[in-house]
Formats: sequence, C-alpha cells, structure tokens
Amino acid sequence: MDKKLAQKIAFWIFRILGVFVVGILLWILGFIIYNGIGVISLEFIFDAPRDGMLKGGIFPAIVGTFCLIVGSMIVAFPLGVMSAIYTNEYVRDGKISRFIRMMTNNLGSIPSVIFGLFGMALFVNAMSWGDSIIAGSFTLGLLALPLVIRTTEEALRMVPDSLRVGSYALGASKLQTIRYVVLPTAFPNIVTGLILSIGRVSGETAPILFTVAAYFLPKLPSSIFDQVMALPYHLYVISTSGTNLEAARPVAYGTALVLITLVLIINFTASFIRRHFSKKLGGGH
Amino acid sequence: MNIIETKDVNFYYGDFHALKGVSLDVAKNSVTAFIGPSGCGKSTFLRLMNRMNDLIPETRLTGKCLINGEDIYDKRIDVDVLRKKVGMVFQKPNPFPKTIFENIAYGLRVNGIKDKAFIQNRVEESLKSAALWEEVKDKLSRSAYDLSGGQQQRLCIARALAVKPDILLMDEPASALDPISTSKIEELIFTLKAEYTIVIVTHNMQQAARVSDTTGFFMLGELIEFSDTKKMFLNPSKEQTQNYITGRFG
Repeated sequence: MDKKLAQKIAFWIFRILGVFVVGILLWILGFIIYNGIGVISLEFIFDAPRDGMLKGGIFPAIVGTFCLIVGSMIVAFPLGVMSAIYTNEYVRDGKISRFIRMMTNNLGSIPSVIFGLFGMALFVNAMSWGDSIIAGSFTLGLLALPLVIRTTEEALRMVPDSLRVGSYALGASKLQTIRYVVLPTAFPNIVTGLILSIGRVSGETAPILFTVAAYFLPKLPSSIFDQVMALPYHLYVISTSGTNLEAARPVAYGTALVLITLVLIINFTASFIRRHFSKKLGGGH
Repeated sequence: MNIIETKDVNFYYGDFHALKGVSLDVAKNSVTAFIGPSGCGKSTFLRLMNRMNDLIPETRLTGKCLINGEDIYDKRIDVDVLRKKVGMVFQKPNPFPKTIFENIAYGLRVNGIKDKAFIQNRVEESLKSAALWEEVKDKLSRSAYDLSGGQQQRLCIARALAVKPDILLMDEPASALDPISTSKIEELIFTLKAEYTIVIVTHNMQQAARVSDTTGFFMLGELIEFSDTKKMFLNPSKEQTQNYITGRFG
C-alpha cells in the first residue's frame, strides 16, 4: 500500500479513537450535569437529608467524605512516601526493591471490596474500633498506598542523578541529599501523585461499606470513632434501596454531580500545583 | 610538597580492569591535566580522589591513594569529610533547582554551618573567586536555572569553592560550553591555582596545554606518560604520546 495513504489512515484511526475517549468523558459529565443540576441549591449542599432522604441535602455525606479523604491521606502519605524513598534511594535495583515493587503492584490490583473486608476484620473487629472514621481511613489509606508509592517513586526517578552526585561531592550525606535536594526537587510531582490518589479514594464505595459508612446519619461526627455518611455510599443507597426509587432519582443525580465535581476539582488542583511549581523551579531538566 | 600521591593503583568495574598500576604525584598549588582517548580511565582515576567511584556498585581498588599523606581508602576515613576537602566540578553543569544563593550556601549548610553572616560572606567570596559575582550580585534570589550554561558552570565552581577544599577536581568542565564560556573557565583555572590544587580531565589537548603545569597521558587504563606539560607537548618521550597529541589516532 502507498506509504502516504497508510500514514493518513493510521492518523485518522488515532484521531477517531482520541475523540471517542474525550467524547465518552464529556457524555458522562453532560448526562450527570443535565440530570443533577436541577436539585443543586444551597440547601442541598449545606443541609442534612430528611423525609426518607428525598428532601433536604447531603451535607453530612460531604463532610464524611472530606473526613475520610483527610484521614486516609494521613495514613497513606507518610507510609507511601517513605517506602518509595526506601526502594528508590536506598536499595535501588537490588532484589529487595524488585520484591517490594512486585508486592506493591500486587497490592494495587487487589479488588477494593477485599480491602473492605480486610478493613472490617482488622480495624473494625480485631482492633475494636467499630464502624468509624478511623477504621475507614485506614482501609482507604491502604487502598491508596500502592498509588502513592508508585507516583512518588516516579517523581523520585525523575530527579536527575547529577543532582545527587553534585550533593555528595560537597560532602553531604545520603540523608541530607534526600532531604535537601531530592525531595524538594521531586516535591511538585509527589504532591500531584498524592492529590490524584485522593481523587481515586474519594469515589470508592466498597472499602467504606463495612468499615465506616452510615446509611442515614444526619448528625455530624464529633470524633474519629464516629460513623459518617459518605458521598459514594449515599449515592449507592438512594439508587438501590428505599421505598420510592423514582422519587429519589434527582437526589441521586445531584449527589453524583457533587461527587464528580469534587473529584474534578481535586484533579485540576493537582495539575495546577504541578505547573505552578515546575515553573517556579525553572522547569526543564 | 606532594598533595596527592598514588602508588600502583588498579581499579576494576566488575571484571573490567579500568586502571592498571597507576602511580603519580601531584604537587600542591599546581594544575594537572589528564588527557587520553575516551574510555582510557582518566575520569575513573579522577573520581578515585574523592571516592565518587564508591557510588558505583561492584567496583574494586588495589594500591594506595594518599591525600596530604593520608590513605583516603583507609577504613577510618569519613567519606563526607574527604569530599569536603576534595571538591569536584562535573562535565555538565548541575546546579540544584534552588536560588543562586542557596546553591552556594548548600555545601556550608550540610556541613553544619548556621551563622547567617558567615554564610553570606562566604557566598559572596566564592562567587567572586569564580568570577561570577558581578553578573549575579543583583539576582542572588533568582533560580540558578535562569543562568546561561557557562554561568551555571561557574556557579558550580563557586559552589565547590564555598566549602574551602584543598583540591578541586574538574571532569571535562568546559566540554558542554561554548568557546567564550570555555575561555572564561580556563582563565578561572589560572587564577584559582594560587589557592587550590587543580586536577582537570579534558578531551581538548590545546586546553591541557594552555592551563596545566603537568600532564598525564592515559591509554587503555595505563598512565603512558606523566611529565611537565611543555615537555609533553614539545618533546614527548613515548611514541604513543607523540601519536596521540599529533592526532594520528584517538
């Protein structure tokens, strides 16, 4: 076949597939916005649900999801970053790092419902924390861990070795080099990875099902040992149970819209931070 | 007095015998250049002196390498202290993604110096020694990445000088720079000689002839000839040296 023609065809196939992917995303977004925008109001966002969750708002679920995001990051961030520093800076290409990396990948491919069951067994029952923010945060934190590790490792790998070597040549120790050169250089990318894993965690339903999420709890939590409502679980509840599913549809779409907006805001923040910092540091390299 | 003395140094990367029985002495406050074809071992030999080769796994060394009379491969030697005494400038400028000021202050900070006035003075002094002060004195808080390649390399020299080393190792410091920046670096080497002992690896024979007092010619891991630079370039005693510097191979 003619070379030019082949190139043209290939190019069009790629273009169509690219448009297709963007199209699906826009379709989902448009669908949710179209169906959900009607119920969005100050009351919907800042009020507790009432009348069989058909009226009122979803404020407790928003607060609950927020608590779980913060909690899971407190668990996943230090563990994940330190483990990535260990594999990338200390053991590098040895057998240990390969083993840890393999285990991390395996951890990342475990279905989230298994994390839920594990969290229930360990944090809810064995640790007797009960259904609580802390149990849910640990469960979600474990789920986010592989992602945090992988993105941190990538961020560390992007720091050129010439900087490490330059630091050693001035008499800096390994720890000083990591603390004052490697981490600051990798920081924007580490934060980006962290925020992306927040986006991933905030939409999870299965892990919180058995560990924290309340079916209906209009009261806001007062300690980390309280249960909370959460957006994804609330969405699941009002879409599948209840006496009048038809009447609950608008609330479900409204909840979905809030959740999806939250995730999008998180993702946009991530790319903003990355661009802001890489500009400040002079980018490139 | 000889500040560096090596005796029968052999170095191996795994099974590869990279340096074969190299013995040489370097006098204090002199400039020594190492020349030779790629892969001849000259950079490896340079990196022995601040133990940068330690960072490469599966390497092995035999023989003695003394600095100020001390065996730097002795178990009691603290590598961090050694590297403070033996500074290094690399082939490609490698400033940290920090401000110009912080790049220079870094070596002081990691060595435990906290006195602000002292750091400030030392930063200025180092930038002046590296002939960069006039160009950057009004933008010390700007990113080092805003500087040109030649300025970045002089910044790296200033950074190395800030910790007051005895010896400055330079691994092809001008090979990534344009001719004007290169001549600035060469002028700099000339003035730095008063205070420091400089060992430079270069691909550029004219450069070796211009800046150095003593020259060593390496080939296939052996030190073929080591003598006064003038003698080396005008009247080499070995045929291999003659062939290399007249461009017959390499």
